Amino acid sequence: MTYTLNSGRVIPQGAFVEHKISQGYREATSVLFIHPMDLFQLGIESGDKVRVTSAAGSVVLRTEETETLREGCVFIALGPYANAITGGYSHGTGMPDYKAIPVEIEPTDDPVMTVWDLMEEIGGLRYDN
Amino acid sequence: MIIEDVPCPFCGCLCDDITLTIKNNRIVGVENCCVLGNAKYLSKQRLKHPIMRKEGKWVEVSFDEAIEETARILSGATRPLLYGWSGTYNEAQVTAVHLAEELGALIDSTTSVCHNPSILAIQEVGHPGCTLGQVKNRADLVIYWGCNPIEAHPRHLSRYTTYADGYFFENTVSDRKVVVVDVRESETAKIADEFIQVKPGGDYLILSALRAMVRGRGDVVPATVAGVKKEQLQRVVDLCQKARYGAVFFGLGVSMTRGKYKNIRNAIELVSELNRKTKFTISAMRGHYNVYGFNEVLTWMAGYPFAVDFSRGIAFYNPGETTVIDVLARKEPDACLVVASDPGAHFPKTCIEHMAAIPTIQIDPCVNPTTALCQVQIPVAITGIEVAGTAYRMDGVPIRMKKVVETEFPTDKQILDRICERVRELNGNG
Repeated sequence: MTYTLNSGRVIPQGAFVEHKISQGYREATSVLFIHPMDLFQLGIESGDKVRVTSAAGSVVLRTEETETLREGCVFIALGPYANAITGGYSHGTGMPDYKAIPVEIEPTDDPVMTVWDLMEEIGGLRYDN
Repeated sequence: MIIEDVPCPFCGCLCDDITLTIKNNRIVGVENCCVLGNAKYLSKQRLKHPIMRKEGKWVEVSFDEAIEETARILSGATRPLLYGWSGTYNEAQVTAVHLAEELGALIDSTTSVCHNPSILAIQEVGHPGCTLGQVKNRADLVIYWGCNPIEAHPRHLSRYTTYADGYFFENTVSDRKVVVVDVRESETAKIADEFIQVKPGGDYLILSALRAMVRGRGDVVPATVAGVKKEQLQRVVDLCQKARYGAVFFGLGVSMTRGKYKNIRNAIELVSELNRKTKFTISAMRGHYNVYGFNEVLTWMAGYPFAVDFSRGIAFYNPGETTVIDVLARKEPDACLVVASDPGAHFPKTCIEHMAAIPTIQIDPCVNPTTALCQVQIPVAITGIEVAGTAYRMDGVPIRMKKVVETEFPTDKQILDRICERVRELNGNG
């Protein structure tokens, strides 16, 4: 089944803006909010991990149930995890599709990557000093 | 020491009523601030010295060496990109535009990935806007469309709308109505008098339906529009038409979905329709505390608010071509300078892949995901805490940011001035 992913600002993500390498930022930006019925359909429970895949890539996230979303719609805080599955095409406007991204979701046991892992995956070098 | 009326350097609200307690040159107390600003004021994490990659490892270097390397990379590039600017002050942004012109670079700001479509729409059909003071004192209807101020601009409601005392109101909480349009029941939606839960991508349809109904052509509107019942849309139209002063605030939920600037254009044209019946304004919920300021500075200096390409020797502006996402997706830049923003955390993966593949330099007080993409990072003083300067609030009101503690770190402007001077020498224009 294809879900519609939206991203946006949330308080925990905003509060960790100056600490993006922290555990707190990682936890705030790697949570996939999802309707309980969608979790039921996937055969998993809130807190289980999923692999979310779009045309631009895939990323592992932890789920958290919420009834504030319609069924079929999922939400993630903006940040490097959301952008791992966001494409760079802007339809000639300069603005990529950060919202309403079609994604596939499947349960997984793979780990949620760290922010440094995500940056090194695309050729970056972590600074741990 | 207590310092009052400090403007907060976090979001576009630029709340200028913060009280700080300073002890031994450190901020130890914060009053009136939201959780986001509070976290910034009390943050202790920062990069303590310039760093540079040498033989695949990070090493500490002097400011002189970091500036020399930055100038060498930028002056030797054929397609340099200068990006960021929304987290610094106008005086530093002025130097940035001079540097872009000297380099023949492409300069763009975080506007490109937030309210760029809003600016394009305003360029098409104008902007029936106002200052936030007008909203605070007059607006008896507030519409938050595709935005969630309780989490993104936490004091917007208490300073300017629902919970703010207004000159023409006896009781603002009961006298002001709030409408929220969003795809999810956000924290802001929970306090709305009317919450329209639109299907993702349905904003344009809802806006068109409302325009038709305001024009008296509700007969052409189907029973359900983008998941919203016609009866609810009629209730919202009635609220709008009964309002003495309606204020629409819109966010990235409208500007980032498919349709982009056409969504905003439709929203502005709805406001125009409503102005035939009553008084209505529309305003963008700008994110960074000085994202608006960069649009001002670049417009004064180059004639355009963002995405200006100096490679032709003149200021050339063509969003979709000269916007940062597009040039990175095309893998054009061969060097990049990032100042006062964090594309590593906020750009699509394909775009930052290219930043990691070219010499990228960051000027920023903190270690962040962009650090990993860089060859050089230069730490600087924090605007609004360690350095004074001008910033523009989301409604275009300039506010002087204060310096509240001393620092040994150089300012963004000092570093950019030195890079600019060295680039001129290397280019033979010294």
